[in-house]
Amino acid sequence: MNSAITKIFSVAKTGSRYVRPSAQLINQRYIGSPPKDGYIYVNDKDPSMDLNDITDRAAQTIFFTELIRGFGVTLAQIFKEPATINYPFEKGPLSPRFRGEHALRRYPSGEERCIACKLCEAICPAQQAITIEAEERADGSRRTTRYDIDMTKCIYCGFCQEACPVDAIVEGPNFEFSTETHEELLYNKEKLLNNGDKWESEIAANIHADHLYR
Amino acid sequence: MAKFFGIDRFFQFLNTIKETGGIRASLYKLYRMDNLRPGTLVGTDKYGNKYYENPHYFYGRNRWVEYAEKYGLDYDASQVPAEWYGWLHYKTDLTPDKDPSRPHYKWMADHTENLSGTPGQFMPYSTTRPKIEPWIPPKA
Repeated sequence: MNSAITKIFSVAKTGSRYVRPSAQLINQRYIGSPPKDGYIYVNDKDPSMDLNDITDRAAQTIFFTELIRGFGVTLAQIFKEPATINYPFEKGPLSPRFRGEHALRRYPSGEERCIACKLCEAICPAQQAITIEAEERADGSRRTTRYDIDMTKCIYCGFCQEACPVDAIVEGPNFEFSTETHEELLYNKEKLLNNGDKWESEIAANIHADHLYR
Repeated sequence: MAKFFGIDRFFQFLNTIKETGGIRASLYKLYRMDNLRPGTLVGTDKYGNKYYENPHYFYGRNRWVEYAEKYGLDYDASQVPAEWYGWLHYKTDLTPDKDPSRPHYKWMADHTENLSGTPGQFMPYSTTRPKIEPWIPPKA
């Protein structure tokens, strides 16, 4: 009696594998009985190529439920917050170590820092990007008379600011210095000092933010 | 309840329009900035640019600048002065008036925008005397 019921039950179980594969899967998931063969095939099964099944699949693809689901995705994207930023108003995060437009700094007294040691000129990997000429000033101190940087040769590697013994040449945070002509990017000493005067607040803040690692 | 169904968004929208200063001002702002969002005014720099923050938006969109009215549609990213640059770029959470690491020297220059393409643009010139001076023939 009892064995007969077990037999019927087992037949029903194996039979259902062929009749309703999805029901079989649910059985395995929620009832937790392992399949008879000892393993579960988890990969995608190749679709059957019966004319009947092919027609069914084609109909499913073409039918408007698919289209509506597609529209649903589109509609959801409209209400989603955009992942882009609204640039001139919002700006992306920037590091204090960012290497942008060059600037020549001054001491708090207003005296220019550069002593024309030419280390930046020597280390510059873009060979001729920095040009320095030095002369003795009226008060006997050594200063540059020419400090030119060709911003179109510069590769913004930051070696010049690392080489500088007095923190005179720095690569400031500014990256919005694009110009319409090439010659505007051939900076001379006046322009670099002016950059330093304009950006000192941010340059000093950046150096302060990084002072533990210098 | 209203929050669950997202109805509060509608009231938020109305509130944003009210804060901006009416429908006309909101439409102008939308035209100028492509965006109409509520935010708290964090500060104003001396050129009249206003800085807003709303931490409700995700990082990278939660701080923005509203360029001064005088610029109209000629606003430019380089009009943000050095003092506010770090705050706007998420380098620091301190606004310039609260940041002790920012110096105030009397030789510090006013900010200028990128003047390329205008009469005020930078043109390179030599800062030294030429090494070769042309011979000027003596007269008579």
